Amino acid sequence: MSPDIIIDWLQASLRWGAPLILVAIGEVYSERSGVINMGIEGIMLFGALAGIAISFFTGNVLLATIGTMILGALFGLAVAFLTVSRKTNQVVTGLMVNLMALGGTNLLFALLSESRHVRVERYPLLFPESFSNIPILGPVLFRQPVSTWVALILPFIAAYILYRTDWGLNVRAVGENPQAAATAGLPVIKLKYQAVILSGLFAALGGCVLTLAEVGYFASGGMTAGRGFVVLAAVVVGGWDPLKTALVCLVFGAADAAQLRMQTAGSVIPYQFLQMLPYLITVIALAGVVGRSRPPKTWGAPYDPADI
Amino acid sequence: MNNKKQRGYVSLPGIGDLALSGLRPLIGILLGLIAGAGLIALSGVNPLSAYVAMLKGAFGSPQAFANVLVRASPLLIGGVGVAIGIKAGLWNVGIEGYMYAGAIGAGMVGIAALPVAPIVHIILSFLAAIAFAVVWGLGPAYMKAYRGVNEVVATIMMNYVAIFFTSWMVHEPQPMAEPGSFFPMSRMIAPTAKLPILMKGTSLHPGFIIGLIACVVLYFVLRYTPFGFRTRMLGVNPVGSRYAGVNVRQQMLFVLLIGALMGGVSGAVEILGLKQRVYMDFVAGVGYESVAVALLAGGNPLGVIASALFFSALKAGGATMSIQTGVGGPMTVVIEALCVIFVIGVGYSERKRLERLDVAEKEDKEVEYDVA
Repeated sequence: MSPDIIIDWLQASLRWGAPLILVAIGEVYSERSGVINMGIEGIMLFGALAGIAISFFTGNVLLATIGTMILGALFGLAVAFLTVSRKTNQVVTGLMVNLMALGGTNLLFALLSESRHVRVERYPLLFPESFSNIPILGPVLFRQPVSTWVALILPFIAAYILYRTDWGLNVRAVGENPQAAATAGLPVIKLKYQAVILSGLFAALGGCVLTLAEVGYFASGGMTAGRGFVVLAAVVVGGWDPLKTALVCLVFGAADAAQLRMQTAGSVIPYQFLQMLPYLITVIALAGVVGRSRPPKTWGAPYDPADI
Repeated sequence: MNNKKQRGYVSLPGIGDLALSGLRPLIGILLGLIAGAGLIALSGVNPLSAYVAMLKGAFGSPQAFANVLVRASPLLIGGVGVAIGIKAGLWNVGIEGYMYAGAIGAGMVGIAALPVAPIVHIILSFLAAIAFAVVWGLGPAYMKAYRGVNEVVATIMMNYVAIFFTSWMVHEPQPMAEPGSFFPMSRMIAPTAKLPILMKGTSLHPGFIIGLIACVVLYFVLRYTPFGFRTRMLGVNPVGSRYAGVNVRQQMLFVLLIGALMGGVSGAVEILGLKQRVYMDFVAGVGYESVAVALLAGGNPLGVIASALFFSALKAGGATMSIQTGVGGPMTVVIEALCVIFVIGVGYSERKRLERLDVAEKEDKEVEYDVA
């Protein structure tokens, strides 16, 4: 293998890992508050389409990003209303959001047919072109769009907020023992809402990055291709910790990048085995073979103040 | 009312009181259809004529209804597999994966040119499908029952493993794959393994009969056998059932494996009855729809029949609606999702109402939505 291939693969790994990290950060907050937002796959899909559509009509990437995040927050609000207030089953709610997103984006994309396969304005590079000439680091790190750098820095901020601020402590308390948190005077419902809305916001942002950082167009028929579930997997393997989860996302992104290269190049290992890898690792991590991955205590359970 | 405010609920006024137990899914579906009508109107089509086209597409002719039954087959079989899990308080979201596993099993035996009578070949194919699916389901089922792993996450992850495994199996160096095909797929199943066509000019195969039998049998199993009693007891009160001497772990394992078995049969029916080849994405979300079907039925196997027919009528009619009125085909998927969201959204007020009733009555009617 020539160094060029490896450098290209490392660069692609970061690029594919970035959207996963962004989605995962929101999901970590949501799951830490006790709500599994399974709808992130669908919200990502909506985000991918919204990013393209807004960028197509306004030509402004910043506007597209902000608009997409607002849309994502609204979806988060809807999921929060259903799972927290209406206490619907989190799994089924998420699956239905995904189903609706798959149909909805196909419908909306058909309306936007003029933008079909037109490459829209994409995220610019953060560093000037000349940085790309630095050997190895240049192409791998500096020829990355702004979004990759945001995704690399954000996990540290997310970890700080989760472990070092009152709000983070409150969210964790709500996920571990909502009754005790409520007794201590915390607004349990409000905190759950905030965490789930964050997961929607970040999921949409991740979808937006998926399209605006790289391909620049939308493909109907579910272009997120199960990445939302890869994120769910990464959160489990990362033990619900922002930094570890981000690291796992990078590894899964690298597997994704390698798999895409193997499909075209042909290799001894079937590329499908690499595609399976994130899911298999998750099942193994869940089974506790490699260290016990302990979920928040009320993971996936609805909160009812009447329960003690 | 005061009580509610204090607890911080957001309540939908009115709807909660309307949602009496039997009417609950109907009200949800109605709200879903109304919301869908709004979306159809937004896309510039008269919703009434769209729904009329949909009804005609589903029930307008014997051929149309045959199409509905063909689409209902995997939902009936998969749905009842999820339903028995719901009764035990388990969310078996792995139907998609079991369907792939079953399809590979059925495909392997079905493709082989065996010198046997068609009925024997078909039975052998089904047995292979069941064996594959149950082995596939053994992993997550064991992990849930004996290691306390969340069955939802485990089964969803296994679904993706199954999809990529299928993709590998139908790519060319593998013996199953069709040589030289542009789109990776398996070879065609042998004519002897193909399920018979029941109505000329349609693709109506006996899959729906298998589904109906499965629903009725599991209904009686749940209601009148010790196994069914233990299953329901597990769903109502896992701790209590352990004290009552139920082997909770074993019961969970069996319930999840029944789901896997059903998923395998469902995949086999699709391959032997309709698709005749195995390829990646052939399930296309039917496994997840089975979960919605079972949920709509509240885990009742007989209810599965109604909700599977509703879903498949929506899908079959949706195709006609799309052709006749120009509403996009994916609209039916959106309406499906809306209906389920409204049904589960209304479901909560139902629970609150039931909590006010006495416990004995509640035990019979309550639909449990919690992840175990």
